[in-house]
Amino acid sequence: MPQSRYLIASAIVILLLALLPLSGSRYAIDLTTEVLIYALFALSLNVLIGFTGNISFGHAAYFAIGGYGCAILLTTYNWPLAASLPAAVVLAGLVAAVVGYFCVRLTQIYFAMLTLAFAMLVWGVAFKWKEVTGGDDGFTGIKMPELLTSPVAYFYFTLAMVTVGVAALWVICHSAFGLTLVAVRENSVRAGFIGIDTRRMRWAAFTVAGAFGGLAGALFGMYHRGMYIENAFWTESANVLIMVLLGGIYSFIGPIIGAAVLHLLQTFTNQYTPYWPTVLGLILLVIVMVLPDGLIGLVSRVRARWGRA
Amino acid sequence: MKYSAMLAAVGVLGAGAAFAEEPIKIGVLYPLTGGGAVYGVPAMAGHQLAVEELNAKGGILGRKIESVERDDKMNPSAASSTMKELITKDKVDIVLGGLSSAVGLSMSEVSKQEKVVYISTIPKTIQMTTDKLHKYVFRTAANTDQEGDAMALLAGRNKLAKICHLELDYAYGNDLEAGILKALPKYAPDAKIVLTLKPKLGATDFNPFIPQVMSAGCDGVLSGLWGPHFVSWVKQAAPLGFFNKVKWISGGEIGSHEIAGELKGDYPDNVISNTYELWYHANDPSHKEFQARLAKKLNTQETPQWAALGYIGVMYTAAAMEKAKSTKADDVAAALEGLTIGTPVGKLTIDAKSHQANIGQFWGPMVKKPDRAYRMMDPAEYIQPK
Repeated sequence: MPQSRYLIASAIVILLLALLPLSGSRYAIDLTTEVLIYALFALSLNVLIGFTGNISFGHAAYFAIGGYGCAILLTTYNWPLAASLPAAVVLAGLVAAVVGYFCVRLTQIYFAMLTLAFAMLVWGVAFKWKEVTGGDDGFTGIKMPELLTSPVAYFYFTLAMVTVGVAALWVICHSAFGLTLVAVRENSVRAGFIGIDTRRMRWAAFTVAGAFGGLAGALFGMYHRGMYIENAFWTESANVLIMVLLGGIYSFIGPIIGAAVLHLLQTFTNQYTPYWPTVLGLILLVIVMVLPDGLIGLVSRVRARWGRA
Repeated sequence: MKYSAMLAAVGVLGAGAAFAEEPIKIGVLYPLTGGGAVYGVPAMAGHQLAVEELNAKGGILGRKIESVERDDKMNPSAASSTMKELITKDKVDIVLGGLSSAVGLSMSEVSKQEKVVYISTIPKTIQMTTDKLHKYVFRTAANTDQEGDAMALLAGRNKLAKICHLELDYAYGNDLEAGILKALPKYAPDAKIVLTLKPKLGATDFNPFIPQVMSAGCDGVLSGLWGPHFVSWVKQAAPLGFFNKVKWISGGEIGSHEIAGELKGDYPDNVISNTYELWYHANDPSHKEFQARLAKKLNTQETPQWAALGYIGVMYTAAAMEKAKSTKADDVAAALEGLTIGTPVGKLTIDAKSHQANIGQFWGPMVKKPDRAYRMMDPAEYIQPK
């Protein structure tokens, strides 16, 4: 079955990524670190969007909680990384569980608006709680363990963490739980009739998405040695949503591709023109008009058209 | 997989072959899109003017200057990524710019990690040159303590007894408030702050605040409402006769021509404010020539003040590299400490300990002029920190 094929393919990708520092290019290492973090972030959101069919406009909140949580524990409380990183992930998951408890009572647009409202609440807390978060000056000067201060070391650390995160999400999404989520997405009424507690399933998915979003946020904060309230703002939630849509929501690896393409495109565009929002607008237009199933959907459609080689 | 190969290729190209006469690269970030562009675009113009002038004279250390310009989007994480890119891909020798406090601090953080000199040309946050000071960060803009000090001085001179204090509720407003409160006992020991109000950053409706200030019975307002905030306040408060009753002493550069030109006839009486530079007034003979060239570049006689800040950042870069006879970050940082240069706003010195330049600002009342549609600062006094 394709299972083993996927395993081999992912092993090759990870191996190639692990060889990247041999190129000697600091720039490539930094850029890939960023892409890896965004890939995990987008993938975590897709647990909600692709698998459960709930669109969240506030996913940046958990990213920010993970980022701020890890940064504050490392710096203000001098915790070791081995404790602060898991604690930050748990914290993001817990907040997601609390927020999710309320959000899953609603569906569709009402659900989306409530996630947005809670996310702006998180933004507001980060803004106002100046003594702890640094307010709108941001939280800079994150203390890092000596071992991870070099960009190459941090790249390997990110690669390892993202690999673990992606693997865990793969297992979760392909378990009975993941398939149940798909059932809820496809027909929540019928899923309810066969005895699935749909609300609880969506709640669990919300929590999982939040926790892994928190992991991505923690990695992001440490990479920049700083967290800023802009990271919790709704524009950040929109950005990751576009990554997911661009890659394709109905495929596991879609969001990873979407994150890589969008982030690289943004980085390269910025080298030539400051008008990235225009480019982004055009991308959105194309997604909505021609690529409703994202880049992955496009690939499979092209394949179907030309016959499998 | 594919993209990593592509990246590797980009990296190799970026590394390039090293030529003996490679240009000196100056990286610069200002907001060029969105709300900050009003300040970032003129600052970038000043930056470019300085680079053009230096190149016409043969560059720095006999090498041409190449300016690598990027948008900081007013987003600290984006600025951090872009600055890393400038350092690792474009191999810039120094980085200048920033506008908001958070962007300034995020750039300072990258400068610390990457050991590349960063000169903050606009961000005023006091943290940068106090708690978060490090070897590679320098500031040629004013800071909130200096601005607060000047405002307290003016409060004392105008004999304000009961003061209303207005600050925007975010980093700059809170820092400026702290700066004013620190200096007020020194200059105006008898003054009392009877009311402190903090509207939100980006607020456009000040109607809840105006009556409170008017009924507080203060004879003067100390304000940190900059740019569009001040414009909105004026439009809402002036029809009520607000400005007839109080002296409005304000930081945030609302004495600049940009604001005077925007408000024109609506600019109220009794405003005393500041600006980094005035196109019609000079405290240094070199200003005239600078202003003429800037006017030519921007194609307007009435040039914006922000250009001078971008310009001064480049002048300091050139002076430090010439003094160090090197472009290495450690040498340039050492050269910047205690460095004095002549600028269009007079002689400036960067303090060796705090890495802060003693840049002053022009302060004065904004008055009507018979032959002009807009107000001008007269008399303009250059208040320079010691």
